[in-house]
Amino acid sequence: MASRVKFENSCEVGVFARLTNAYCLVPDGASEGFYSVLEGELAGAVTVVRTSVAGTRIVGRLCVGNKRGLLLPHTATDQEIQHLRNSLPDEVVVKCVDERLSALGNCIACNDHVALTHPDLDKETEEVISDVLGVEVFRQTIAGNILVGSYCTFTNKGGLVHPQTSVEDLDELSTLLQVPMVAGTVNRGSEVVSAGMAVNDWTAFCGSDTTATEVSVVESVFRLRDPRPGAGALGSDVKNSMVQDFFTS
Amino acid sequence: MRLEKCWFCSSTIYPGHGIQFVRNDAKIFRFCRSKCHKNFKMKRNPRKVKWTKAYRQLHGKDMTKDTTFEFERKRNRPERYDRNLTEQTLKAIPLITKIRHDRLEKHISNRQKPGKRKEMEKDSKELDQDIGMLPKKLISNELAAEKTKVKVKVVQQQTEDNAMEE
Repeated sequence: MASRVKFENSCEVGVFARLTNAYCLVPDGASEGFYSVLEGELAGAVTVVRTSVAGTRIVGRLCVGNKRGLLLPHTATDQEIQHLRNSLPDEVVVKCVDERLSALGNCIACNDHVALTHPDLDKETEEVISDVLGVEVFRQTIAGNILVGSYCTFTNKGGLVHPQTSVEDLDELSTLLQVPMVAGTVNRGSEVVSAGMAVNDWTAFCGSDTTATEVSVVESVFRLRDPRPGAGALGSDVKNSMVQDFFTS
Repeated sequence: MRLEKCWFCSSTIYPGHGIQFVRNDAKIFRFCRSKCHKNFKMKRNPRKVKWTKAYRQLHGKDMTKDTTFEFERKRNRPERYDRNLTEQTLKAIPLITKIRHDRLEKHISNRQKPGKRKEMEKDSKELDQDIGMLPKKLISNELAAEKTKVKVKVVQQQTEDNAMEE
């Protein structure tokens, strides 16, 4: 179910929260309204951890992870790393990455099987990603943008990319990631889709500015609606026809 | 709070000291005091500057390979908090520092031992060969000391006997 939420008057939820199938990282200090929406949706299924990374609140953009592991930049302090290690379940491996590009959330987009990375990422970092997160790593650009982590977000069910991605690129990505991909926007036409929303296999949180159309696109591509007979087939058709109608201009 | 090492001299930087410089390629350089910072700005290579740890370890003046260094290596994977582990670690830290310090002292004294022996051999050789090089005053005093030790015979008894006879 996709919910609309605001973090401290900002609609860029993906900047502040990092949501995966096993845990959710949020910064401290916001109003309880934000936390109550999050915890209400996620309940007992997912551990919600309040933390800062490198003393900042932009947790969603600095760290990246999936159900198997979490990667932090080298700027994260020892206390934060220890706090995360204590709070997260044992199955999740917490690791610090020594990388020049320290905003890992902007450089890496991943689900439980595949990861797309910034083309300039270090070789050792790529190895760490494939080792800790247990994924296959591909270096890609999205619509000519190197920050794949910001302009593309995907889960095990589907993915959303920058609206100006060409159809060929979209098909290529779909085959690479083995999930249906859609080019769309979030937060009333914001191209930075990953920064505008936090999504996992069964929930999504979009910024409050997200229009109903955008929310329905998100719900259909990430398969968040209640399963109904025939809905699966409907979803796959909808992907191609509906979105292209809205965004071809 | 984390105690870092100075990039130039490798000493620990305590909170409130020093300067951190971040280069354009995002590499961070930490300096413990302005001495190290100024040397860095002069583009000096710490491996060539005699008083730095880098020079001393490179040239074998200080201990390089030791098991006590393994305890301080940077680990990127944290362990879950365990009270016993933390307590034992805190107890072990001063012990390890002491052992490392003792081993370092041993290393330095071992390094200086052959030099000491050579110096003593040189001194004894000099004494044998070059005793004449010592100033005359010193030598004459020695001989005078020897002379005073010579025994003097007493002559007084015979005259006494003569006197008694008359």
